[in-house]
Amino acid sequence: MTDYGHDLLFGTFLTPTAAAPERVVALAQQTEQAGLDLVTFQDHPYQPGFLDTWTLLSWVGAVTSTVRIAPNVANLPLRPPAVLARSAATLDRLTGGRVELGLGSGAFWDAIVAMGGPRRTAGQGVDALTEAVAVIRALWDTEQTARLDLPGAYYPVAGAKRGPAPAHPIGIWLGAYKPRMLRLTGTSGDGWLPSMGYLKSLDDLTEGNRRIDDAAQAAGRPVTAVRRLLNINGQLTSRAGDALLVGPPEQWVEQLAVLALQYGISGFVLAADDPTLIAAYGQEIAPAVRALVEAER
Amino acid sequence: MSDLGLPLQLGVWLPTDVDTDPAARALAAEHAGLDLVAVGGRVDLVQTGTDARDRQSAPEVGSPPGASRGELPSSAEQGAEVADGADGADDDWTVAAWVAARTATIRLLVAVDAQHRPATVTARAAAGLDHLAGGRVDLVLTGTDPAVLREAIAAVRGTWAAADPTPLHLDGVHHRADGARRGPAPAHTPVLGLSATGSAPAEVRTLGAQWADLWWSGTVDDATPLAEAARTAGREPAEVRIVRTVGSDATPEEVAALVLSGRASTILLDGDDPEWARTVAPRVRALVDAGRELAGTRVRQPRSAAVRTARRPGIDYDGIPAELVVDAVEPGDAAYATVRSGYMRGGSPGLVLRPADTAGVVTALAWARTQDVPLAVRSGGHGISGRSTNDGGIVLDVGRLNRIEVLDRASRRVRIGPGARWGEVAQALEPYGWAITSGDSGGVGVGGLATAGGIGFLVREHGLTLDHLRSVEIVLADGSVVHASETENTELFWGVRGAGANLGIVTGFEFVADPVTEVGFAQLVFDATDLESFLVDYGALVEAAPRDVTPFVLMGRPQGGRIYAQVMAMVDSTDPEVVIDRLQPFAQLAPLVQQQVQLLPYSAVVVAPDEQHQGEGEPVSRSGMIEHLTPGFARDAAALVRSGHTYFFQIRAAGGAVADVPAEATAYAHRSANFSVVAFGASRHRLDAVWDAMAGHFSGIYSSFETDRRPERLAEVFPGRTLERLRALKRRLDPEDVFRHNFSVAAGDD
Repeated sequence: MTDYGHDLLFGTFLTPTAAAPERVVALAQQTEQAGLDLVTFQDHPYQPGFLDTWTLLSWVGAVTSTVRIAPNVANLPLRPPAVLARSAATLDRLTGGRVELGLGSGAFWDAIVAMGGPRRTAGQGVDALTEAVAVIRALWDTEQTARLDLPGAYYPVAGAKRGPAPAHPIGIWLGAYKPRMLRLTGTSGDGWLPSMGYLKSLDDLTEGNRRIDDAAQAAGRPVTAVRRLLNINGQLTSRAGDALLVGPPEQWVEQLAVLALQYGISGFVLAADDPTLIAAYGQEIAPAVRALVEAER
Repeated sequence: MSDLGLPLQLGVWLPTDVDTDPAARALAAEHAGLDLVAVGGRVDLVQTGTDARDRQSAPEVGSPPGASRGELPSSAEQGAEVADGADGADDDWTVAAWVAARTATIRLLVAVDAQHRPATVTARAAAGLDHLAGGRVDLVLTGTDPAVLREAIAAVRGTWAAADPTPLHLDGVHHRADGARRGPAPAHTPVLGLSATGSAPAEVRTLGAQWADLWWSGTVDDATPLAEAARTAGREPAEVRIVRTVGSDATPEEVAALVLSGRASTILLDGDDPEWARTVAPRVRALVDAGRELAGTRVRQPRSAAVRTARRPGIDYDGIPAELVVDAVEPGDAAYATVRSGYMRGGSPGLVLRPADTAGVVTALAWARTQDVPLAVRSGGHGISGRSTNDGGIVLDVGRLNRIEVLDRASRRVRIGPGARWGEVAQALEPYGWAITSGDSGGVGVGGLATAGGIGFLVREHGLTLDHLRSVEIVLADGSVVHASETENTELFWGVRGAGANLGIVTGFEFVADPVTEVGFAQLVFDATDLESFLVDYGALVEAAPRDVTPFVLMGRPQGGRIYAQVMAMVDSTDPEVVIDRLQPFAQLAPLVQQQVQLLPYSAVVVAPDEQHQGEGEPVSRSGMIEHLTPGFARDAAALVRSGHTYFFQIRAAGGAVADVPAEATAYAHRSANFSVVAFGASRHRLDAVWDAMAGHFSGIYSSFETDRRPERLAEVFPGRTLERLRALKRRLDPEDVFRHNFSVAAGDD
């Protein structure tokens, strides 16, 4: 039983199909119109069938006005952190503070290497991500006037000028599954963003929360410093069933409320390229979950 | 150096700093009629910490070599110790994407640091932004290290080479690829530029001369060595466009002199002077035009040797008019794959001209007429009968004339360009609670449909698409632009409505829309194995039904000995009871296999697909207009469907309100037919054999669905007096039969 008490966020996880850019943008705009909070895109720069995620986010930011936007999650090996930091800050400035930064250490190493990126072991991936988070936070920190020097094995910085500062404190949300990544999330992350499809069971959420909480506390941070989000898949059907998020809207509402109240999840990012599903999620499901969770809290 | 004759481009170099609102500046440039904005290539001085904006004062034209002001900054300046490009400034690429999203027509030149981002990712990002922006984005790689730039160029070009099926391998030090998948290609012919100053400019310039399409020059006049290096590399100097920045203090004469002396073809204003676009820019254009006229310089867009090799005979590519050359697509261009074919027809035209406005259409038509190759006119490229592509000829594509404008809310008058697609029209009119009946596909272009007929899902209630026309603007064969309506050029207006493809190129339509909000839309699949009685009963039901219901029925080849008939029916009512009431009789026709009924906006039924046309070969189809689905017709139709010789056999309702208009009121002459029948087959020979034997059932042909080219079809499309009147118009307006790609009425007119 965990509930960190964060306000709830509901968003979409849209496929950035390169063949139909207008449709992708329209779905992002529809996400906003449906009253949802967040539009996110996966980042697989080695996939020619997808639009470049950062470019698409920038475009979507320019044609929306309230919805938050985030990569879900940015592919660190092909996105140098200093560029990412400046890009995210710039987009945050352009959008008036609507950017969050989902970040991952990378997977699919053959494809990353094919694109000219590095090959890293799981351990190296965590080390690189640890450095990257430090670089990004330091570059955003324009309170410090000294030039930035950060020695490192992956992303050393020597004498970089800091800035630009984002318009709001951008949350760094880490896609983490294994113990070291979860620890990093607890010590340095602002959010945890795993995907339901990669979890063996909901127990993984409990276990992940515990590891994050432990790491956060060991680092002297409150456990509420880390928002817990979840990429979800689902299907609206007329008949109720046992499966998670396969059923009518009422079933979704119940199950999402359970995830919020018992598993501490406060961000639900739905993989949906279907306008009907997005509309139902934004107009029916999200408000009902909010109401139910508020009542229970 | 002498003038290279490249089309002049004038633009503004935007500051990247978000606080200066670059999108607003870009929009101002767009509204002022400038050609482009440039983003990026400005870098802070890391060592001194000087704010970049402090030193972005305008360079003087003709600054002495080595002058630092206004030069493209070098990444050496930011200090080699900064291993990651962090310089405290806003990110160029993010700002560029933002600016692209906030603008509509202006081009973007985006300079990206070649060192600190994987070049393969940069290539894909640039191609993606180009697709998002409708082909307005060109990429410039900046840097000082020739080795880095050389590798970056290879990575970008290699990634963009989508047509190459082999994985990309690049054995570089700074930019590598090890089996990367290629693509996507940019939406338009890619322009890859290069820029540099700093320690090794000459080497980088040589790279530019060898590999780039564009060289962003510093203040140093390097046009001559650039041209020499290009020649050494076996290229024409004009293959590398030179970009230079000028300050707002430069006079129009000084700027024009840069162009006329071959030192630049793209001029960017560096500085914030909102008046420049209105005062200096037009003057520069006029001076350049005058100078070129005086010197007899022909304006042209040179293409690379590889592109030139792919050219077709009979077309004077170097003579393409200047205002069309930038957007023209020829066989060697990357964008060719997206423009060569139509929806169902493969093509390999020698040139696709894409004018942006009526004047451009006039210029394109006049020039195309001087070329001794076939001419096709294309709006949406969806045509079955119309030859909107060809082999080795010119395609005049009016797809960019696609504006949809509401003229008057009270009378529901709208002006629509021929290049808009009906799905886009449906979407644009939805907020007003209006629709214009079109066809059953939102991918169809306005021009082709509105000049032929338009038998759509509201046809029984609201008539043909062309019945909604109130006036047209049309470019005639001699290049004159005329208007036609019930009060002006009335005979032409009569002819445009049904035989427009014979008479000219319509560049603007004025329609009256109908009030249509949500509609009932049903998809019912029947087991119609007893097809004869199904068709007769179906036909009778359609004719007896209230006009607010319009059904189309479609059959494919038999499946396992059974024939399935899919009825798609629109009911123009927001009342579910009415919708069900209208559909109920149809549901009794035969055993229902599947059914779906929805209430949804008209625009959700007629949807424009995102995909590009990829047609191959030639479609085989036959059309017939018929008054009633008689037992005799049903017998023959059933035999045809059972034979498997047609894979798509559709009967559209085409009566109701259509018959309210007298047959002689428009050149569409099939007002008495209640149905339009079309069969698509795989074999011309087999389909023709069956269809010819069915001829007795039909009263005529709907031109848009007929692909049989035997001469006797013409009088079936345009019967009797209609053909006589059209021939008279044709003799008067198009005596040389320029517009002969779709049932030319000149054929057989001796």
